[in-house]
Amino acid sequence: MLKLFKEIRKAGDATTGYPFEPLAMPAGFRGKPEHNEKLCIACGACAIACPANAITMDLNDDQSYVTWDISYGRCIFCGRCQEVCPLFAIELTTDFELAVLNKADLSESCAYEVARCAVCGKPYAAAKEVDYARRVLKSVGGPAAADVGKLDECLACRRREDARAFQAQARTEGGAR
Amino acid sequence: MVKKKVPLRVGETHVQAVRDTFPGAVLDAAWQAEDQVTVTVPKDMLPDVVEFLYYGRGGWLPNMVANDERPINGNYALYYLLSMEESDPGFVTVRAEVDPQSMEYPSVTPRVPACVWSEREAFDLFGLRAQGLPDERRLVLPDDWPADLYPLRKDSMDYRKRPAPVTDVENYSFLYEGRAEEVTEVPMGPLHITSDEPGHFRLFVEGEEIIDADYRLFYVHRGMEKVAESRLNYDAVTFLADRICGICGNAHSVAYAEAVEHAQGIEVPVRAQYIRAILLEVERLHSHLLNLGLVCHYCGFDTGFQHFFRVREKTMDLAVLLTGARKTYGLNLIGGVRRDILDAQKVATIKYVREIRNEVEALVDMLVSTANFESRTAGVGRLDPAVARDYSPVGPCVRGSGIARDVRFDHPFDGYKYLSGMKARSHDGCDVQSRTLVRVEEFMDSLTMIEQLLDGAPAGPVLTEDWRYTPHKFALGYTEAPRGEDMHWAQVGDNQKCYRWRAKAATYSNWPILRYMFRGNTVADAAIIVGSMDPCYSCTDRVTVVDVKKKTETVLTKDQLEGYCRRRTHSPLSGTGV
Repeated sequence: MLKLFKEIRKAGDATTGYPFEPLAMPAGFRGKPEHNEKLCIACGACAIACPANAITMDLNDDQSYVTWDISYGRCIFCGRCQEVCPLFAIELTTDFELAVLNKADLSESCAYEVARCAVCGKPYAAAKEVDYARRVLKSVGGPAAADVGKLDECLACRRREDARAFQAQARTEGGAR
Repeated sequence: MVKKKVPLRVGETHVQAVRDTFPGAVLDAAWQAEDQVTVTVPKDMLPDVVEFLYYGRGGWLPNMVANDERPINGNYALYYLLSMEESDPGFVTVRAEVDPQSMEYPSVTPRVPACVWSEREAFDLFGLRAQGLPDERRLVLPDDWPADLYPLRKDSMDYRKRPAPVTDVENYSFLYEGRAEEVTEVPMGPLHITSDEPGHFRLFVEGEEIIDADYRLFYVHRGMEKVAESRLNYDAVTFLADRICGICGNAHSVAYAEAVEHAQGIEVPVRAQYIRAILLEVERLHSHLLNLGLVCHYCGFDTGFQHFFRVREKTMDLAVLLTGARKTYGLNLIGGVRRDILDAQKVATIKYVREIRNEVEALVDMLVSTANFESRTAGVGRLDPAVARDYSPVGPCVRGSGIARDVRFDHPFDGYKYLSGMKARSHDGCDVQSRTLVRVEEFMDSLTMIEQLLDGAPAGPVLTEDWRYTPHKFALGYTEAPRGEDMHWAQVGDNQKCYRWRAKAATYSNWPILRYMFRGNTVADAAIIVGSMDPCYSCTDRVTVVDVKKKTETVLTKDQLEGYCRRRTHSPLSGTGV
């Protein structure tokens, strides 16, 4: 019994002042993911990597915008989104106080303008992503930048054009039969 | 011609023994990994071969996996997983195909009782009927589930839909195996879903003595295997596997990752293997402290309970330091781990380990010198080693009955391969006390292991992406969770998804022995016996007492039962017409 009292005395206060004073979290704690919508190019890598489907992307009804949504209610704070983001546009913070009174407040959303194919007119990527690709190709220069005009077309149209070019080439050069 | 001497592969002696004993029974033998072989036999030979390997060759049975392989080979298949723990240690899987016309196979349960839950489950989820299975009640599915809908068949209902309930009444029957006629039935549970996990126990008592017990679980069956097959990509399932358990999630995640890695032949970097082992041991630290705290609670030593939980908080801080979350969640990927342990973290971890060791030593000292500890735990909840041999229980439960089964030492994996001077702990008192002492020793061992692993971890990468994905390969992954071995069987499909994933949690192997641990004890001991199993919940929610003869019914609250467990006087059953 005496031992126990000694132990109790030695232990002192086991509790902390939280929530009346802030609780410091160590570096590397995985809390609320913060999305930087300015850096984000809406490429969708995070939506594909997210195991819990907390991050989702969708076209709106008239196909003019692509929306990026995160539901903190679904988030499991694994940080896969941060790992796969090419532009460091999403980062896990040490914020863990996520309780809300209204369920809708658990979600955040933003919309990005969609680029339409110069040939067929269908939406094929976020305009920001196309812009980003254009800038990267230009800065790389050389043969990679030669096709920069093709970025205005969707994948299907580019494929079709390539196929036609091959066909024409095969005819003029008398390709193997 | 000179015969070349080829070293025998792991499991080869067992395969040869089956060939010799049952000529013509082995249709095929294929190795999935270095220590894993699958032997295909005709379904009529199943009981003979499994019994031979189990009792004749030192095998233990973690579970059986049923699989709908109609899209692959036109049949269903059953995989009886056997962990060979005497000579030639390794895993031998006995596979048999069941044709979709008959949907029947001979039950192995009458020969090897350990199969009982798996065979009940195979009927629930696939509709495969085990002929001669002594207990054909539902295991997994609820009473209101339609009889002809088998959720894991490939042509079953879309996972996003739900069938209409077929009944409004609970029609599950509890089995009584005792001989005495005038018994009182004491149902415990099932609900208080918000506070504790649900489980429904039915105690058959004579006076205060428990003659027999039966139980029903799976009230919180989440259909994770179905979700993994239909919605998640195979590489995201590690994150779902984490969520199987609120305490030993990492053990499941590692087991799943290793199942896929074994199947695909992925070599995990050595440093990642060390880190996985360190995190598994950190998990054991907080889990065992939780159970030791609960033992204090059930012995009426609530101050001790509070102090174990105070120290446990340090192990949680350690988890935050190493993984970034209070739970060791979200760190595994197929091919390694996502986070390295840096030098500063290593130093901090060693400091934590020393502090925790000193504090727990003092607390354990106080617990075992508490007068109540001896009287409440010694000789209570006896698990007969013979019963243990029949049912293949795992973890501190079986090690408290003198059988030193521990996957970390029987089939060393990950960082455990590189440990020195450690061995599986066991006590042979067969009671609650032995199981508690096993946990105490394992806790101390875990601290030593963490130190050894931190020191021994070589520098290098922690993740490899160097492999090719081959569809339909399958293998086993196994870890020793705080409660015993977790066994995962995974087969990937041709669509980047799991074709079949079977996750066996440690406690799945332990529930079937509970009825034997209950027998001969008093109602007052029920809570501490369940607690000593350390199931994923340690509280019993609510108790109803039914006198079969007088048809009276009394409802006891959880507090009443726990209070009685501590005091053992003023029985809540007295004065209620019993």
